[in-house]
Amino acid sequence: MILGDFGTSYCKFLDLSEAVASPTIMATKDLPSDIHVSFSTGHNGKRFADAYVNELIALARGGEALIKEPDYVLLDCGSRDIKYVQYENGSLKDMGWNAECGASMGFTIELLERYYELDYNELAVPEQTFSVTCGVLGMSHIFDAIINGVSGSEAVAKFVKGIAINAFRFVNSPSKIYLSGGLCDNSLFVNSLPCKVVRLGRHVLLRGLKESAERFAAG
Amino acid sequence: MKKKNIIPPACSVLELNRLKPFENVGIVGMPPVDVIRYLNERQVVIHDLDALLVRTDMEYTAPYLPRVYCAVLRTVVLNALHLDLDAIIVDTGPGKCNSAFHVAAVLDDTFALPVMCTRNDDRAAVGAPFCRARMDLTEKMVVITEGVKSADPPSSSPDPCKPTAGFWGVPPRDFSILSFFPDTTHVYGWTRCMENKIPADAELEAYFNPDIPTVFFAQTFCAKTALAKLLAGRHPKALFLDVDVNTTSSAKAKVQAFLELTGAIT
Repeated sequence: MILGDFGTSYCKFLDLSEAVASPTIMATKDLPSDIHVSFSTGHNGKRFADAYVNELIALARGGEALIKEPDYVLLDCGSRDIKYVQYENGSLKDMGWNAECGASMGFTIELLERYYELDYNELAVPEQTFSVTCGVLGMSHIFDAIINGVSGSEAVAKFVKGIAINAFRFVNSPSKIYLSGGLCDNSLFVNSLPCKVVRLGRHVLLRGLKESAERFAAG
Repeated sequence: MKKKNIIPPACSVLELNRLKPFENVGIVGMPPVDVIRYLNERQVVIHDLDALLVRTDMEYTAPYLPRVYCAVLRTVVLNALHLDLDAIIVDTGPGKCNSAFHVAAVLDDTFALPVMCTRNDDRAAVGAPFCRARMDLTEKMVVITEGVKSADPPSSSPDPCKPTAGFWGVPPRDFSILSFFPDTTHVYGWTRCMENKIPADAELEAYFNPDIPTVFFAQTFCAKTALAKLLAGRHPKALFLDVDVNTTSSAKAKVQAFLELTGAIT
């Protein structure tokens, strides 16, 4: 049985028939058009699978499997949106999915890194930040700052910190965040979050999908 | 030539008697039962302008209302622009909202037909059997919203079921959000007031069942978002949700996830 998390920029797969199942990843733009899996999640997932699990459910099930605490906030920062679940006493307390105002933040961060030839793991967290609620609209802050003599790397760092602050507020400013998604590998983003951060990596939804598939199989 | 007064005249049975007979009347919100009965007795066709009667581009309303405005009231204007009406009766009392009051002025200014305001203070509850029935939630909502056009309660009265989920709020502009709920969903908020024909009953509107997972819904830009958020904060298992013109895929996913993760659906 193959599971697939079909994200906007990257797709992650897990083949449960392998003796030691480990996730694989590929860029969404390189995805073969005839690919088919048993269970899917993610923006692009519905057309490639026998059964589809929505991303919030996959995220929540992934959190339930990976986090051994009764109270926590799990935030997933994807290419296109941010979403979270909050658990209290082991049960769902709150959730959110910001697909509009949080648009394209992750995707924009990756584009900026390439364009300005930056390494986010080398950039220091800036003192100041831009007020950023949308990846696309936030770009104008970068261009304005550069016009006013700020270096590209500093302007982008302020932008990334702005996105981190926005995500932090979106999840109601907790003292600790479990972080899911590709931005776990971005030290500038992680260190810009003004709270304790536990990085769970980019396969949390895939883990949740496995949980959902097992529940489905169990009837 | 623009009309002189910004506030449309009050509507009452006496006032209606002075006007020439109507065939088609648009209503906004829930005018009082005596007004609806007056129209029913004269076989006037009532058009509920809050409902999705005309499927066309919302941009037609842009000359009259800001784009950032309650989608239900934008729909009122959209319907009024496309229907052949003889008069419009807008409830602007405590059973509706300030935004409707201002929309009444816009309608009065825009159309060359009588636009009248009511203040519904009805207190005679007729019951809310459909809010508590085992029934597809969309069908339930259709029955309840259709009921606004009649002075009498529905002829049939289904038995109540044990609830497993709750929907609190106004009837949404886009009913597609309702498709995820189980048949055993009980309805609360203004929709329950509506079925009871007491739209200004603030206590009934604020009532919810804390024992069942409940979605607290309001239209984006509606003043009721404040009440929905407040009540969701008081409820132990709640999802606050606001939706604008159409239900986005993320809003649908939130409802589906909430209902599944709280055990309301499997």
